[in-house]
Amino acid sequence: MGAGELSGRDVLARSVKGQLRRVALGSALGCVHQLGEALVPVLIGVVIDQAVAGQDAGRLALWLGVLALMYVTLSWSFRLGAKAGERGAEEAAHTLRLAIVGRVLDARGGAEDGRLPGELANVATEDAKRVGAVNMALMSGIWAIAGVAVSAVALLLISVTLGLIVLLGTPVLLWLGHLLSKPLERRSEAEQDRAAHASGVAADLVAGLRVLKGLGAQQAAVERYRRTSRISLAATLRSARAESWQTGLVLALTGGFIALIALVGGRLALNGSLTLGQLVSAVGLALFLLGPLETFAWVNAELAQGRASAARVAEVLAAGPAVVDGDDPVAEPVRGDLRLRGVRLGGLDGLDLDLRAGQLTGIAVTDPAGAEALLRCLGRETDPESGSVELDGVPLTRLDPTGLRAAVLVAAHDAALFEGSLAANVTPEEESSSGADGDRPLTERAMAAARADEVAESLPYGTDTGVGEGGRSLSGGQRQRVLLARALRAGAPVLVVHDPTTAVDTVTEARIAEGLREFRQGRTTIVVTNSPALLAVTDHVILLDAGRVGAEGTHADLVRTDATYRTAVLA
Amino acid sequence: MTTEDIRTTDSGRALLPTATPARTRAAVRELLRPQRGLAFAGFGLMVVATAVGLLTQPLLGHIVDVVTEHRSPDALTLPVVALAGVAVVQGVTTALGMSLVSRLGETALARLRELFVERALSLPLDRIEKAGSGDLNSRVTRDVSRVADAVRGALPELARSALSIVLTLGALALLDWRFLLAALIAVPVQAHTARWYVRNAVPLYAKERIATGTQQQQLLDTIGGARTVRAYRLQKGHTRQVTERSRAAVELTMSGVRLMLRFYSRLHIAEYLGLSAVLVTGFLLVRDGSASVGTATAAALYFHSLFGPVNTALVLLDDAQSATAGLARLVGVVDEPAPVAAARADDRTTAAGPPSVTLTGVSHAYVAGRPVLHDVDLEIRPKERVALVGTTGAGKTTLAKLVAGLHRPQAGRIDVGGEEPDEAGQLVGLVTQEVHVFAGPLVDDLRLARPDAHIEELREALETVGALGWAEALPEGLDTVVGDGGHRLTADRAQQLALARLLLADPPVVVLDEATAEAGSSGARQLDEAAEQALRGRTALVVAHRLSQAASADRVVVLSDGRVVENGTHDELLAARGQYAALWQAWSDSRSSSTP
Repeated sequence: MGAGELSGRDVLARSVKGQLRRVALGSALGCVHQLGEALVPVLIGVVIDQAVAGQDAGRLALWLGVLALMYVTLSWSFRLGAKAGERGAEEAAHTLRLAIVGRVLDARGGAEDGRLPGELANVATEDAKRVGAVNMALMSGIWAIAGVAVSAVALLLISVTLGLIVLLGTPVLLWLGHLLSKPLERRSEAEQDRAAHASGVAADLVAGLRVLKGLGAQQAAVERYRRTSRISLAATLRSARAESWQTGLVLALTGGFIALIALVGGRLALNGSLTLGQLVSAVGLALFLLGPLETFAWVNAELAQGRASAARVAEVLAAGPAVVDGDDPVAEPVRGDLRLRGVRLGGLDGLDLDLRAGQLTGIAVTDPAGAEALLRCLGRETDPESGSVELDGVPLTRLDPTGLRAAVLVAAHDAALFEGSLAANVTPEEESSSGADGDRPLTERAMAAARADEVAESLPYGTDTGVGEGGRSLSGGQRQRVLLARALRAGAPVLVVHDPTTAVDTVTEARIAEGLREFRQGRTTIVVTNSPALLAVTDHVILLDAGRVGAEGTHADLVRTDATYRTAVLA
Repeated sequence: MTTEDIRTTDSGRALLPTATPARTRAAVRELLRPQRGLAFAGFGLMVVATAVGLLTQPLLGHIVDVVTEHRSPDALTLPVVALAGVAVVQGVTTALGMSLVSRLGETALARLRELFVERALSLPLDRIEKAGSGDLNSRVTRDVSRVADAVRGALPELARSALSIVLTLGALALLDWRFLLAALIAVPVQAHTARWYVRNAVPLYAKERIATGTQQQQLLDTIGGARTVRAYRLQKGHTRQVTERSRAAVELTMSGVRLMLRFYSRLHIAEYLGLSAVLVTGFLLVRDGSASVGTATAAALYFHSLFGPVNTALVLLDDAQSATAGLARLVGVVDEPAPVAAARADDRTTAAGPPSVTLTGVSHAYVAGRPVLHDVDLEIRPKERVALVGTTGAGKTTLAKLVAGLHRPQAGRIDVGGEEPDEAGQLVGLVTQEVHVFAGPLVDDLRLARPDAHIEELREALETVGALGWAEALPEGLDTVVGDGGHRLTADRAQQLALARLLLADPPVVVLDEATAEAGSSGARQLDEAAEQALRGRTALVVAHRLSQAASADRVVVLSDGRVVENGTHDELLAARGQYAALWQAWSDSRSSSTP
């Protein structure tokens, strides 16, 4: 996918090309429907002229039969055509949605940088939908062209003069309406934005209800909301007034135009160049023509929106990868030696670091940015600006990122829990290869080591309890224990955990430290933390200070000998 | 436990009430009553506009008659001028009428949402928690916007269409009552179609909304957790879930489209039946001489012009239906009884200095039979700082909420300077680890705590909690829009802001519930200092997360399984060699593990 140069136009073109058969079918059927709709007023004219004015019952029956046939045709062609179009729009959006999610989850990352999750989710839903809707808009445009063409032919056949008046007059009429209502429209849009604000503020206050109650600030909030609501109301009223005048204007212009056609048509009919039925048809056609012409305006707006959305989609799909692609598989078995040389990134300033295989290493930092940068390097979320990171002597940049993550697992402090049961979060891969009974003891051991078994016991349905969206129904301490259980359970040869117990009480923290040590016995484990309880159980501690190794030794030695370490850890 | 007006869902939640249709109608009448004049003027103008517009067809019919009777071209002038006049009058009256009708609807809507917010903010917290916070949130977002959309879009259109239909049918009757009869042939088909549609559409759209919501949730989950997905290589499972949810949403949307298209097909049948009937009637009436060809033309044109409004009205039925459901949910909350304001002296004498807090025999349970607190006795003297210590699940947060008045204890009594704390009180300020930055300029966020605060007071509060530096460095300083949709603050900055608000609110008693816990292990010290400043000179209860907070308190209370098990100063408790001493041992061991 996305070789850098993907543009919004490409996204649009691809989206239409993918649905070409549906769009073609829908367009063809839609044209038939337009033809039918255009011919209804013509047929009314014919019936009046030939049957009613001429009082011919046979012709009445005949033409009503034709009208019935027309209705069946227009109804079915509309139904099938619109279905094809809507299906095309939906399928295109679906395909695009999956492509966006695929790009975001791509092992090389880079798509979500600088974008909020809500924003990206919006691109995957709203923008994908708008790009898909271009299929429908395109079809509607083709229908409208067909409608105009049919009316044009019919009108010109009836009378060249009248036909020209209608054909030239209608666009002028719409253009005039557009011109006159443009300032109104612009004002209305600005006002609508302001009006929408009131709902936003209300939702925000309700979301912060607990905080308001904690301060006893409800009354102040209510008064503030009332002011916002009144300002919004004033804006809405201005906008509504603008819209009302716009509607009134269009009505007046259309009515005036009909009067003009009636005048010219009436005169032509009186001097015999037009039959009565033709006059009726012409008036009907003039009214009908407004429909397709308004459709053009709608299609235009829809295409503009589609283009803007496509540009946003393209930006995500074409986002550059965050890390360089390597192809080499990780050599089995993984020993677990990590070596950093001259690494520069964020808070790291030419860091040299050796993390020995099979050991439990603690890394304490004086600056949280250093910890963050180190984790990003090891998890290959970002490559260092300079310097190298090696696993068992092979630079990480040469390795396939997916394979590397199987060997080196970085359990971030703010890792996500997913909606679903606690069990499903701890053993996520089990979903695909269910029934791996042999792993149950492993899961139980991991849960016990992280003291997540206690979390499960306190929940109403144990490990089957849902954790809510983003794990939000768990408390901070519960979340952290579940996160740690998942990290341990994954059993990676190298495990890097970051601040796993900041929200856990002291006693539990000490027990978790023991559990962690025991569980990871003999495998490379790195704990990035300033918590003394965790550092105390490590084999070896490294203090990162000013982006480099400031001190090294056991926790006890460092506490005794290093003042910087003491300040960082024993605050 | 359940009262009659509380609906209990299968998940055991007691949703907030929904108003009955009768009560909803009554509430709408109450909202509209102050503007009766506006209502009459608005609808009056709309009637005039529609009625004038209906002159178009007879005038066209008249022109047809002029042509049929081969009169002079000058005879055309009058009807044509009349047509132009009709256009102008119709345009102007429509514009005025629609303005008035939307003023009516929008003003009522604004009053409704204000009432709703006022009542929602005064609902007892445990009531909201029982309903699930999603319930109130979906009412304030989805239902309010659904009703607003209807008032803005559907209502004026529906009014116009309905008027057009009624008056057009009236006009048909004026031409000849038999035309009306013919036109009404379409009505049973339309009525049946509308009923059929609503019956099928309501559950289908409800399902579609749920599916779309689930899809959105899944996307947020997956995209928000992208780093985790990559770290654990969960791409396959997540892609499958996204595909399934998106597919489900697509199929439900398509079901909706198919339903809609079938609906149109049936309306086409109605159109054809009615149109043929009107044409046949015209034929018959012209034959027996009771109508001219022009009248027959006008009738046919009338009927043809009904297609638009009828389709609009039937399609809008759906919007109207969902808006009514939303309205009932809003009125349901507005009608909730206001919490009985405890009759208490508002002219509290703060001059007396911070009060003491006394808990006597306090017990509390969220679920019957599973008590969280048992018979707690506790006294906090004026200006004393008490730290609450205990393992997770010991009941610390519950105790904090009770003292702050967010819940009422089920047994026992809490006394703060002679009063029982309640949610509305400015007596006790509570800051928890739940942070919320109110959307809007930073100064407005702070002024929620003290609406009339001068800018200097705000700066001072920020300075005290150590936040002035970064606040002034924001793109537009203290006027920077923060929160949802604005500049995003990190968790510890948001927490500093919460402490600054606390300073401004200036309550004599403060409860801090792990207010500094969420910061990572290196940002915590700064927050602790900010909290220290915020507590100065107040009676305080601090749920301690780090034991250093306990050590610096005047007194430490240890809670275990909902009971107070130890109570004394830090030194006393260490000497007692009980639970606290053990906790302290574990805490300080890890800090100087060299001890053999």
